[in-house]
Amino acid sequence: MGVNIVVPELQTGTVTNQYGFYSITLPKGVYEVIYSTLGFTTERITVDLSNNIKRDFTMKTDSQSLDEVVIEANAEKLNIRSSQMSANTLSSSTIKKIPVVLGEVDVIKALTLLPGVTSAGEGASGFNVRGGAADQNLILLDEATLYNSSHLFGFFSVFNPDAIKDLTLYKGGIPAQYGGRISSVLDIYQKDGNNRNYQATGGIGLVASRLLLEGPIKKDVASFLVGGRSSYAHLFLPLFDNDNIAYFYDLNTKVSYNLNENNRLFLSGYFGRDVFKISESFGNTFGNTTINLRWNHLYSDRLFSNLSVIYSDYYFGLELKFVEFKFDSGIRNFNLKYDFSHYLSENIDLKYGLNSIYYKFNPGDVKPTTVTSGVNEFKLTDKYAWENAVYGAAEIKVSDNISVNAGLRLSTFSRLGQSEFFLYENDNPLLYNEALGIYEKAKPNDTISFRRSETIKSFANLEPRLAVSFLLDDDSSIKASYNRMTQYIHLISNTTSPTPFDIYAPSGKYIKPQLADQVAMGYFRNFENYSLEVETFYKTVQNRLDYISGADLIANNAIEQILLNGEARAYGLEMLFRKNTGRFQGWLAYTLSKSEQRTPGRTAAESGINNGEWYNAAWDKTHDLSITGSYDLSKKWTFGANLIFQTGRPTTFPEGQYEYNGMVVPVYEARNSSRITPFHRLDISATLTPSQKTDKRWKGEWVFSIYNVYNQKNAASISFSENTDTYQNEAVRLSIFGIIPSVTYNFKF
Amino acid sequence: MLIACALLLASCEDVIEVDLNDADPRLVIEANINIRVEDDYVNSYVKLTTTAPFFDNQVPFVENASVHITDENGLVYSFTHAENGFYISDFSPQENIDYTLEVIYENEIYTATTNRIPSVPLEYVEQRDDGGFSGDQIELKAFFTDPAGEENFYFVTGSSERGINRNVLNDEFFDGNAIFALYRADDLTTGDNVQFILHGITEEYYNYMFILLQQTGAGGGPFETQPATVKGNIINETNPENYPLGYFRISEISVLDYTVQ
Repeated sequence: MGVNIVVPELQTGTVTNQYGFYSITLPKGVYEVIYSTLGFTTERITVDLSNNIKRDFTMKTDSQSLDEVVIEANAEKLNIRSSQMSANTLSSSTIKKIPVVLGEVDVIKALTLLPGVTSAGEGASGFNVRGGAADQNLILLDEATLYNSSHLFGFFSVFNPDAIKDLTLYKGGIPAQYGGRISSVLDIYQKDGNNRNYQATGGIGLVASRLLLEGPIKKDVASFLVGGRSSYAHLFLPLFDNDNIAYFYDLNTKVSYNLNENNRLFLSGYFGRDVFKISESFGNTFGNTTINLRWNHLYSDRLFSNLSVIYSDYYFGLELKFVEFKFDSGIRNFNLKYDFSHYLSENIDLKYGLNSIYYKFNPGDVKPTTVTSGVNEFKLTDKYAWENAVYGAAEIKVSDNISVNAGLRLSTFSRLGQSEFFLYENDNPLLYNEALGIYEKAKPNDTISFRRSETIKSFANLEPRLAVSFLLDDDSSIKASYNRMTQYIHLISNTTSPTPFDIYAPSGKYIKPQLADQVAMGYFRNFENYSLEVETFYKTVQNRLDYISGADLIANNAIEQILLNGEARAYGLEMLFRKNTGRFQGWLAYTLSKSEQRTPGRTAAESGINNGEWYNAAWDKTHDLSITGSYDLSKKWTFGANLIFQTGRPTTFPEGQYEYNGMVVPVYEARNSSRITPFHRLDISATLTPSQKTDKRWKGEWVFSIYNVYNQKNAASISFSENTDTYQNEAVRLSIFGIIPSVTYNFKF
Repeated sequence: MLIACALLLASCEDVIEVDLNDADPRLVIEANINIRVEDDYVNSYVKLTTTAPFFDNQVPFVENASVHITDENGLVYSFTHAENGFYISDFSPQENIDYTLEVIYENEIYTATTNRIPSVPLEYVEQRDDGGFSGDQIELKAFFTDPAGEENFYFVTGSSERGINRNVLNDEFFDGNAIFALYRADDLTTGDNVQFILHGITEEYYNYMFILLQQTGAGGGPFETQPATVKGNIINETNPENYPLGYFRISEISVLDYTVQ
């Protein structure tokens, strides 16, 4: 998140970029300049401008706050002028005031309280933005791509709240510098280590504990930050009395080095793993790793550059002792980014750059773990690809009340050579049996090997981006935006929400890239202590993959044999009404939306999926209302509460039954044509900060919270089966979280 | 994954009332021809029922249909109704001959064609007393040897008074090796008799049963796949829209009885 720099006399200002760089052009004279950002003390200084000056400024932390994360959604006055819309920023402060399940502060759970952001349900991985799928979110941690944002299958997110400086979620009007996913961009930056003092921040909770250390390596020049978090291994095994374990841990590191006033280096890393073991028979490990080296360089006072070299990978491993085999899979990429911010003149800022990503996909490697194992070693064919992009965008102040941001991104994707590439008769890997009305896998009629330097298939797409703001008066504006996005890699998943098993597959001869077009319009208004945002959007997606019935996606070496090409669309109205200042702060967010998908047959004779009819996306929630608030009663006590109401998620109910081979089999209605019961919940929290001397270094606080206060049995799913004792068919509701009280102790010294 | 989910402390399951829509009934054809290779004993039956509302206790039998099988040389084997929708015959299929099932019901003609799929013998059963996720369950593995160099598909059942386990297997990762079918049941104890039956099946039947088994297991949760009604290999020639459910299969089988030690 940027720092706002305002020059009140001229009613002008700017915002720093992610690295804190800013440039502002003013006529000669003496001005008061105000630097402000959330969670930090606002500073006013006077500058005398007779020629170009450079002013470095270090913001001081608001010493009151131990809570490090607050949601700030376009609340600043300046933001009604910026052409950027549909973006929410989360920064240093009150997420910790939002009550959360088991007391674990969670960035993604906080995001889902905002309009336009949902998840498929409690315990579902990932999040959905404006009706998009979870794999359509670009999640960047210090510019490195994360492939899985959840721990413990979605109960917790992978971000250690202490290590995060800020994050911005772009839901629409996505700037040209971002590409590769079509629904949203979640851009997260880790904190720089404190380069003056040594400091420790941490917390002890019911589920996990965390500790973060930071300090100078060389005072004012170099700093480090290292943070770790781990859940307790034996928490999740009340059902059994032996060696079952389920836990996660993650590690965040960052080293920052100021070479001189024009050059800065950053080295950051993230490592996270989830581990499950069930007795001796089942073991499962998965997680992300990223390493990132960045170099900030000022070519001039007006030209800022950042060069990043990034490695990231996602690993999934499984060991089944009773079948005596193990399975490893993953995705790995090397990413080079060179981005420029060019402050051309008072009214024109340019952003341009390039990006090159090399991918290696390992869909799976099956190995026997014992000599007596009946499993043959089997390697699913590795796949390789190269994604490139160049972009340029100009933010232009056309007049006092009109700003335009026009951008263009050119992206290309080359599927590189691999061994064992399947060819099919008529290039058709999926046949339709017209008589039976079912899809059947085709048999490859040839298998060829390409050299790695060869290109099997390539794509190029132009992605225009446009955003316009029109200032109605000092306190209100309307904005409109259009973006086209392209996504070349696809999460192969046919479950309601992603699972760690799911693998990514690159576009190529049989899979086309997803293309999204989104238009959005909004009205933005600041009142005295309140702000109001109302936005509406319409989005279409081409080439959304769908799967034939019963498709088995795990360890499938010929994914193309089970895929069909579909389309998706989503539209909605979002409203966010916030109180930004005072002892009571909070917001009311409401979304009315629809998200659908359709997969027609490729010819008139084919049935497609769901007979080619539109059906609701698994995460479609017609109404989504969140109210969240916090109240500072005194220096000692702060209270928080959330109230959430959502339409039940779509599901497919039986409309009959039959008997076959002694089994009771459901006859299903059209896909996702029913809904589970509506979801609602109230959470409360209280934070106690014991009185302490201001000169004492140790600061501590207790956070007491109750999740789901009135113990609502919200359905996570409703399943239909035969009762094994009574042989009577029944509907069974699974509810995940009842009332859960928790307590967490946070400290800083 | 579901296991991991079930481990979470706070989750709970309860039975609730749900109003469901009722679809019009369809014909369900369970045409199973099993040939026990060692003694050439053939068990042929065609069971006809219809679909019913989901919460009904029973599905209706079809007693007034005409059922016969014709081989590729025109020989006709008639099936007669015995009881409760079961139609039987002394039909005994040969290898490498196509057989066509024809069912006439309410003036609509349903047909399906298949042939006899070979199987291999079940060899022995291995017993462990420290199986299951809790580590104290009795677990049985019935082994057989997969023929090398060809794709094979199997349907295995293990049954005792404690319950039935059904499974489909393929040899993708096990080609030419010993493969086992697992049997687990709550309260399985010494002296219980478990019967394993291994059926040779087509790839299409493997796919069909794979989905059915998913849909009849305890589903639900974020890891459930999108369910849809599964069509088998039987066509309604008269009115394709009114497609039947079920399957026509001819399998060689191997039977192995085991007494829990």
